[in-house]
Amino acid sequence: MIVDEQIKMKKVAILFRRAPHGSPHGREALDLALLSASFEQEVSLIFVDDGVLNLVKDQQPELIGAKDYIATFGALPLYDVETVLVCEESLLEYGLDLTDLTIEADMVSPSLITEQLSKVDEVLVF
Amino acid sequence: MNLHHIQTSAKQDNALACCIKYMDKQDSVLLSGNGVNSLLLSQWRERLADIRVMLLKDDVEARGLSKRFKDYPLIDYDTFVKESLTHDKVITW
Amino acid sequence: MSKFIIQVNGAAYASSASYNAYRFAKAALESGHEIERVFFYQDGVLNTNTLNSPASDEFNLTDAWVSLNQQYEVQLVNCVSAALRRGVLSQNEAKENRLSHWNMEKPFEMGGLGELVTGIEAADRVVSF
Repeated sequence: MIVDEQIKMKKVAILFRRAPHGSPHGREALDLALLSASFEQEVSLIFVDDGVLNLVKDQQPELIGAKDYIATFGALPLYDVETVLVCEESLLEYGLDLTDLTIEADMVSPSLITEQLSKVDEVLVF
Repeated sequence: MNLHHIQTSAKQDNALACCIKYMDKQDSVLLSGNGVNSLLLSQWRERLADIRVMLLKDDVEARGLSKRFKDYPLIDYDTFVKESLTHDKVITW
Repeated sequence: MSKFIIQVNGAAYASSASYNAYRFAKAALESGHEIERVFFYQDGVLNTNTLNSPASDEFNLTDAWVSLNQQYEVQLVNCVSAALRRGVLSQNEAKENRLSHWNMEKPFEMGGLGELVTGIEAADRVVSF
């Protein structure tokens, strides 16, 4: 078997900190996350602050002329993206819990997010 | 150790608040663009007091703030490049 | 010496982030480092609109990127879908979309997000603006 040594697998974290639909950040973050995963990078997703609102169930972005990228979060398991971290403090602030979210995620403390930010090779914030 | 890069004013965007909440306190913070303005506010000076903070010199001088920030290290772009390599990675919030 | 990939997310003129990205890239190259590529994503694609026409006494960021390419052969790559959504098209995309105008040309190139991802793989460091 030939192993291409040029290709280094990296651990990349994509952090969502902004609310969906008001700006395209969330949508373009998810595009990048899925693309990275399809290139066999080890991708993790982190949702903090307003970013947790990306995961709220029953969204209808098309009503406001926005693309329904929220439905695409459901495709994460198909891309082998296993690490989806949501800040418990941010959820609490917005009165949300895991049952309000459209996908399965791990509710974690801010310090666990700090750990994840240190563990990975690169972090891209949207 | 990470270098956290903030480009926006804390009054306008909560990038700095978000960064401080999730960063390791051993990490460093680089303020650039309107990000430098945050240090004019005592609230943010206090929250950053125990953290290694740098400011991008041209962004400080362009805004007429050199005298106000004489207690902070003002770095040029060459140093920014060096710092980006001595840290494990750069996280731009 | 190290290898960087620079990700530019801020618009030309509308955001100071893109100017800082240019200054960082220039400083890195002048110090002898390599830049795998400059990748324009989100509003960053607006840096590559060659119709950007600031007054003659103002800094022209689009021209500055072009001279960086001429001096150091740095690849300047757009995310094509981010660019199309924001009205930045090369002749090729104009033709495909049956449009009679375009506003992006060499040395800027259209690419995919894959080029950001492979750039991240190849580089020692990503710096975003």
